[in-house]
Amino acid sequence: MSLTIESSRFGRVEIDPGSVIEFPDGLIGLSGSRYALLARDPDTPFLWLQSLDDPGLALPVTNPHQFFSQFTVEVTDEDAERLGPDLTAEVDVYVTVRAAEALEDFVANLKAPILVRSGRGHQVINQAAGCELRAPLFAEVEVETNGSSSSAC
Amino acid sequence: MLRITRKTGERVMLGDDVVVEVLEVRGQTVRLGIDAPRSLVIYREEIWLEVKRENEAAALAASAPLPSVRLKGAGE
Repeated sequence: MSLTIESSRFGRVEIDPGSVIEFPDGLIGLSGSRYALLARDPDTPFLWLQSLDDPGLALPVTNPHQFFSQFTVEVTDEDAERLGPDLTAEVDVYVTVRAAEALEDFVANLKAPILVRSGRGHQVINQAAGCELRAPLFAEVEVETNGSSSSAC
Repeated sequence: MLRITRKTGERVMLGDDVVVEVLEVRGQTVRLGIDAPRSLVIYREEIWLEVKRENEAAALAASAPLPSVRLKGAGE
């Protein structure tokens, strides 16, 4: 069964059922519990969590390990129980990204990573030391920009 | 807001299966113990609030499309 939504950001989008993630507890402070993980542009390290409950809600996310070599996730015992056994096996980790005009102003939320396994997701509070709420995304990595894609005047 | 006075060791029930106990009071600091079903997620308010704000900001700030950047050393 294919699913089509009218995303405010992307227009009409066909949702691959395999990309749907259920968040039993939602994302912290946001409404809705079903999202799809969309890869809109293979040339960027960003993916989008598009809400299936609210077409106007989409958050850019990325794999933190690509940007932060020291990044680790530690969860409380309560969260570990909630997430189920073998937390470390087959878990995809994402962090939300706050975009900005300049790359050096992009930040990622390492304090509240999103863990996804078998189509279920949880945003957890990271107990590992030194995880910033707004960590400069491009502080550690070198990037090549492909110029022409910028839409600024 | 409901206000209830409790002593150390006394408890409050929220519904039938959430128990909040005053474990210790020391000056301005109160230690609480909370027993709740696993499905109920418990946050310190200030952390919940800052993550909520960051989630909202991430959703609002992004201008699509995001810049095409390639991480050096990634992929190939």
